[in-house]
Amino acid sequence: MTASTRGTLLLDRGVGPLLVLPATLLVVVFLVGPFYYMMYTALTDLSFADASRNGNFVGLDNFRKLMRDDPLFWDSFLLTLRFVVLAVSIEFVLGFALAFLIFRFVARQRLLTTLLLIPMMIAPVAVGLIWRLLLQGDFGMVTYYMRKVGLLSQNAAVLSSPDLVFPAIVAIDVWQWTPFVTLVMLAGLMSLPRSPIEAAMMDGAGPVRVFLDVMLPLLKPIIALVLLLRGIDAFKEFDKVFIMTGGGPGTLTELVSIYAYRVNFRNWDLGYGAAVAFMVYLVVLILCSIFYKAIYWSANRPAPLGGHG
Amino acid sequence: MDRPASRPWVAFAWAVLAVAVVVALTPYLWIVLASFKNRVDLFASIPKWTFTPTLANYPAVFIGKDYWPLAINSLVISTSSTALCIAIGAPAAYVFARMDFPGKEDLFFFFLTTRMAPPISIAVPLFLFFTALGLIDTIYAVVIAHTSFNLSLVVWMMRGFFADIPREIDEAAVMDGRSRLGAFLFIVVPLAAPGLAATAVLCFILSWNEFLYAFILVAFEGRPLTVGIPGLVTPHGTLWGQVAAVAIVATLPIVVFTFIVQRQLVRGLTFGAVKG
Repeated sequence: MTASTRGTLLLDRGVGPLLVLPATLLVVVFLVGPFYYMMYTALTDLSFADASRNGNFVGLDNFRKLMRDDPLFWDSFLLTLRFVVLAVSIEFVLGFALAFLIFRFVARQRLLTTLLLIPMMIAPVAVGLIWRLLLQGDFGMVTYYMRKVGLLSQNAAVLSSPDLVFPAIVAIDVWQWTPFVTLVMLAGLMSLPRSPIEAAMMDGAGPVRVFLDVMLPLLKPIIALVLLLRGIDAFKEFDKVFIMTGGGPGTLTELVSIYAYRVNFRNWDLGYGAAVAFMVYLVVLILCSIFYKAIYWSANRPAPLGGHG
Repeated sequence: MDRPASRPWVAFAWAVLAVAVVVALTPYLWIVLASFKNRVDLFASIPKWTFTPTLANYPAVFIGKDYWPLAINSLVISTSSTALCIAIGAPAAYVFARMDFPGKEDLFFFFLTTRMAPPISIAVPLFLFFTALGLIDTIYAVVIAHTSFNLSLVVWMMRGFFADIPREIDEAAVMDGRSRLGAFLFIVVPLAAPGLAATAVLCFILSWNEFLYAFILVAFEGRPLTVGIPGLVTPHGTLWGQVAAVAIVATLPIVVFTFIVQRQLVRGLTFGAVKG
């Protein structure tokens, strides 16, 4: 046995996987550790605002309170669900339509797609500020044109109007993230195998039939991925909305992550805040495992997804 | 679907796409313009598309308000967390791509869950933890936080890139007398360089754009640009020209990077599930 094959065997039989250790350790110490600490905190009454509540164990009291006596939490939770469903479905329809147009009619797509991508690549904080400026009541550019065409009354401003503020944050999320759907769906369309499509056309199927009966089923896994990834991200939404409205006016745009922020870092009610944060985590974790299943579901199919090693 | 498209359809498609590009870019363009406007033009009640540009906003905020260190902070945080992520994440990804060990796929999924974790749900413990370590309000805290959450992206993305390289290549290198590690460093890594570069750029972008961790972990000294900008917005009398100037500096590098990595973007943003 030569030295090198011995080395290979050594690496393959147990030493190799050690290279995963540093990464695992870092993640465990700085992400998983804090997560368990959060779960523990959720069982205590820890609060920085009240000296008598220094982390006494209270069992499931926080969760009981969350379930029964906190309409604000449920308001924010339902608001977030509405936000996710509305924003993601609009993004999906628009993004898929754009991807299809680009796929069908544009030969050299690179520059066009890159230009479309800009909204989603710049910092969400910057997106929030850009829209705050555009929707500013006295001199906002969009405000001006909205008033001009009669969408907004003279002395109202979008971000302080109870009727318009929620549609506005949905619209801005759509502005920012539609390109993501376009990008991924375009990749999906480009990787579709040609033969089933051609076969269907030979059989005399029209474009609509080909799209519905051949392309759409083939794209199913990729559609599932896009919806899940967007869903997870939208559920975590914080930056943009926090910068634009801070959750207001009142609590009209207080998404669940902004509510969690307020309980933790404004009220310093850490025990209860941890319970709220845990609920956010739970939803994301559920979506995340569906995402993982979807990947494996698609990896076992030949196209259009490649899967991984 | 390959029949040549009819004229009206082509025109329709281009009209829709043109509108999409205008809608996507106008808001950004507006803030670019705003950064070159003086107060009068900025606060004009009828939007001004043409005006005499001024450069005054940039020095006013970066030197006058001492915002330039924030740009340096952003750069240091993003660069060092990216370097750490690649150094720690790429070998792990290689192991995931090439070797088998019990619980491999579970560990791989575990990495994904760490990426998906909502920052707000671990912000408090992380805040307390870094306070205990004495690292709160320092750049180190942010670098560590960004490295941990971007690590899974590197692992997921690079596993795919490494898997694309035929196994036979590293096996041949080992036959030629290289150690497995040598084969990885000197044969596989150079072959995966484009993927590695794209992954690094994406890590950089995500760290550069990140807000919540940085916002909670540093208040003064180590503040990056994303944490600094909102401070310029006050309920009354916000100097929007200066806000715009900071926003441009905070976004322009990213716009440039987007052009560079566009091809690999799909893969990165879908955790390797979709190959662009």
